[in-house]
Amino acid sequence: MSGCGLFLRRAAAARARRALVALTASRRPLRTSPQSRAFAKELCLGKIEKNGVFPFPEVSQDELNEINQLVKPVEKFFLEEVDSRKIDREGKIPDDTLEKLKSLGLFGMQVPEEYGGLGLSHTMYARLGEAISLDPSITVTLAAHQAIGLKGIILVGTEEQKAKYLPKLASGEHIAAFCLTEPGSGSDAASIQSRATLSEDKKHYILNGSKVWISNGGLASVFTVFARTEVADSDGSVKDKITAFIVERDFGGVTNGKPEDKLGIRGSNTCEVHFENTKVPVENVLGEVGGGFKLAMNILNSGRFSMGSLSAAVIKKLIELTAEYACTRKQFNRKLSEFGLIQEKFALMAQKAYVMESMAYLTAGMLDQPGLPDCSIEAAMVKVFSSEGVWQCTSEALQILGGSGYMKDYPFERMLRDARILLIFEGTNEILRLFIALTGLQHAGRTLTAKMNELKRGNMSVVMETVGRRLRDSLGQTVDMGLTGDLGLVHPSLEDSAIKLEQNVFLFGRTVEALLRRFGKSIVDEQLVLKRVANILINMYGMVAVLSRASRSIRIGLRDHDHEILLANMFCVEAYFQNLFSLSQLDKDAPENLDKQTKKIAQQILEKRAYICAHPLDRMS
Amino acid sequence: MSCVRAALLARGLPRGRAAICSAILPGAPFSQVSPLLPRGLHCSATPYTSTKSLVPRPSEPEKKPGKVPAPHEELFQRAPGSARDKASFVRAVQSFGQHNVRKRGHVDFIYLALRKMREYGVERDLAAYNLLLDIFPKEVFRPRNIFQRIFIHYPRQQECGVAVLEQMENHGVMPNKETEFLLLQIFGRRSHPMLKFVRMRLWLTRFQNVNPFPVPRELPQDAVELATLGLRHMEPDLSARVTVYQKPSPDDTRDPADSIQPHIVGIQSPDQQDALARHNPARPLFVEGPFSLWLRNKCVYYHILRADLLPPEEKEVQEIPEEWNLYYPMQLDLDYARSGWDDYEFDIDEVEEGPVFAICMAGAHDQETLARWIQGLQETNPALARIPVVFRLAGSTGELLAASGLEDSRQSQREGQEEDERVQRQQQGQS
Repeated sequence: MSGCGLFLRRAAAARARRALVALTASRRPLRTSPQSRAFAKELCLGKIEKNGVFPFPEVSQDELNEINQLVKPVEKFFLEEVDSRKIDREGKIPDDTLEKLKSLGLFGMQVPEEYGGLGLSHTMYARLGEAISLDPSITVTLAAHQAIGLKGIILVGTEEQKAKYLPKLASGEHIAAFCLTEPGSGSDAASIQSRATLSEDKKHYILNGSKVWISNGGLASVFTVFARTEVADSDGSVKDKITAFIVERDFGGVTNGKPEDKLGIRGSNTCEVHFENTKVPVENVLGEVGGGFKLAMNILNSGRFSMGSLSAAVIKKLIELTAEYACTRKQFNRKLSEFGLIQEKFALMAQKAYVMESMAYLTAGMLDQPGLPDCSIEAAMVKVFSSEGVWQCTSEALQILGGSGYMKDYPFERMLRDARILLIFEGTNEILRLFIALTGLQHAGRTLTAKMNELKRGNMSVVMETVGRRLRDSLGQTVDMGLTGDLGLVHPSLEDSAIKLEQNVFLFGRTVEALLRRFGKSIVDEQLVLKRVANILINMYGMVAVLSRASRSIRIGLRDHDHEILLANMFCVEAYFQNLFSLSQLDKDAPENLDKQTKKIAQQILEKRAYICAHPLDRMS
Repeated sequence: MSCVRAALLARGLPRGRAAICSAILPGAPFSQVSPLLPRGLHCSATPYTSTKSLVPRPSEPEKKPGKVPAPHEELFQRAPGSARDKASFVRAVQSFGQHNVRKRGHVDFIYLALRKMREYGVERDLAAYNLLLDIFPKEVFRPRNIFQRIFIHYPRQQECGVAVLEQMENHGVMPNKETEFLLLQIFGRRSHPMLKFVRMRLWLTRFQNVNPFPVPRELPQDAVELATLGLRHMEPDLSARVTVYQKPSPDDTRDPADSIQPHIVGIQSPDQQDALARHNPARPLFVEGPFSLWLRNKCVYYHILRADLLPPEEKEVQEIPEEWNLYYPMQLDLDYARSGWDDYEFDIDEVEEGPVFAICMAGAHDQETLARWIQGLQETNPALARIPVVFRLAGSTGELLAASGLEDSRQSQREGQEEDERVQRQQQGQS
């Protein structure tokens, strides 16, 4: 019976795929809009790049039907057959569950159709991810498999490599894992110790080393491994560079430790993987020899955007679960839902989910544009915002239930544990904030330096422009970036929010300029400044995303768009004031800025490696 | 001051007046008064001159012609067999009160007891000081009219009270409410001991924790433990590891200098190890010392293993590797750095010194012992085997060494040999 159902589903998926081929063939050339410049980078210059952001990216009706067709069976499967509690308790995904996931085609979501995958676009991948997110352990297993594990093969693999590995990986016959982290090397690639040496006959690399915290390490049979190799430079000197390899478990010498006991996502398999004299054929070098570093960066950057839609789905689920409780539980003869402090939590959850969704699908839409747009900053912003949002929301949801939420009878404690990893993996949020800020500032710095050089050379038009701008700034001109007004891109009911965004963007551009002039290249060491820059950028990106999405909803008349306006306006106002505060902190000598004190406190504590203050009950005599 | 006082004494001025004169001398602190010198000023008669003593003394000591014992000395000598501890001190003080109802000679007794406190090990005991203050008769020395208040009332008693507080201060004992109450009862609010008390309450609290590198009150007796303490005291890095390279021979732990096998205790931090591993073997290392370090009243000596400062041309510039950070750029390609106008730091001229790779404290300061330390260091620092080590042991450690008088004889024998710097290849020379 179930086999029959499976077959049907498989057929549906295959049909979807075929239709998709036709679609992609017809669809892609139609989008001829010029490739947008990176949105976030332009924000750092105080400009809003409207191309690609307004209007909100859409999918065609056919695509929508396709994706719904795909999502339905997956959702049904997760709701009816996956027992997340059992997976969490036993720390393992049951084999039959894995088999069904494979038969649904979920192991090859982004593998091109010609290699037997579903070939989903980023948008559709994000949508399907929502269905999968119902169980975090499975989500992580699948993400480790295809968002990072086999991504390298799709990105830079040769035709032979693709033909050899992708079909089996797409079907789930083989599971992939991504082996980068080492005991002494988290984000520091220079301390990678694993080494691959070319054999005498130059046909093999001998791979040695150990990797830790490898998701799917125990299940996988194909590994993307990063190791040091000796590479001859153009000038003849030999240098150690990182190279990526496709390593099969059958090559020999591959062992893995026992699964790690984790706080959350306990069903996913995480373990150490050791390579001992593993012979890797030279054909299995992924990309160029010595090009592993760039590849690793690309893979890591490309995998992040989907976290937004996954998190939004989790929050939606949380809202359903807690709303039922809040509307039935009575205290003092009143339902919980009548209390303001409980209502506030629901508003927060809805707002976070709305912003996350908007950011995720906006980014996915940007990624789906023709050409290979670089949306790594946007993806990182989505990751930071959504991981923190989902952590906050699970905590608030648990709070709504009070003591019950703390019990294992309810799923909230498990969801809270599972959500915690989101702040850590795929680049911790701290590191991603630095990435967001520094990449943006780098772009701004280049433009600024060019302008400064022009000024030095005495280019009259640039000088006049600069002086004119200063004058206009000092006279307090109103900011208008074309979002509002008669021909504005934002709907009039969101006008106030749009104006707030414009003001933020304008001020931010000036602040970035001031920061760069003030700190120069030493700004890389000002992490507290960078954190604020990143926070402002994330907020502004969220504002743009919700404004764009809500405007579209109103204009095409989606149901309940008035609710969307409420959420969008609420977020924009909150973000606006947060941004203003952060911006004022970025001013020189701002009284709000406590960085010096913060650093001093931390230094004193770290010097002693303990809490310094005497006990409040201590006496002098 | 005391000579002024002597002159006044000679002229036979009334004693109260003399004391006032001495006290109002600018800057003359009370406590300088030697307890024995102004005997003649004492307002109460000493027990030797007293013939009207109502209470018979249990053991009247005979006057010895040679050394004149201080008055009341007998109270502290009574039980030669018993241990000198707080209990016996309290007993001695109480016996003074019991046998001397009129409290004659209490000032002398207090001065004596103050001197005896260290012997009894109660010099840091607040209760003992309060007990001493309690000897003073109450309400007698309180000024009762304006003239008494203007002039110092009962100066010798007030000086004595100040002396008690001063000794407390010297030992870092904080007076408490009971002390305050006693002083109020004895001398009244506006008296010199009370002023001293108030000042102590203010400043002792502020100065008690003024040292950011506190040394424990009781220093360990064991030489190895003391050395460990001293090394930890000097090394700012908390991850530094203390290694005992050689234990002192067990038969002679009291005096480490004379033991056949002196102790060797060293400290090295992981950073120092890294720096040593990166050290250019062509440049020699130096063992220098001994340098002194005072821990409370003990002086310990240490040696350092150091190198000369690298000349600027040999310094390797730490460059940022191309492929370093997987997540974010480690540098921005901007032409300029933080400008001077944004820098509010003080302009501090820092003098760079050569790196110190390890510190040790040993029971003996000769080359033989220190070579054993270097050998021990080689186990954790293999690079050290390739680097020449020069022993630059100072001929004399200066007055500090003489003060401790620990190792003068041994040291002087070897000084001649060590004076000239000898380059020792570690492998062959000292093994």
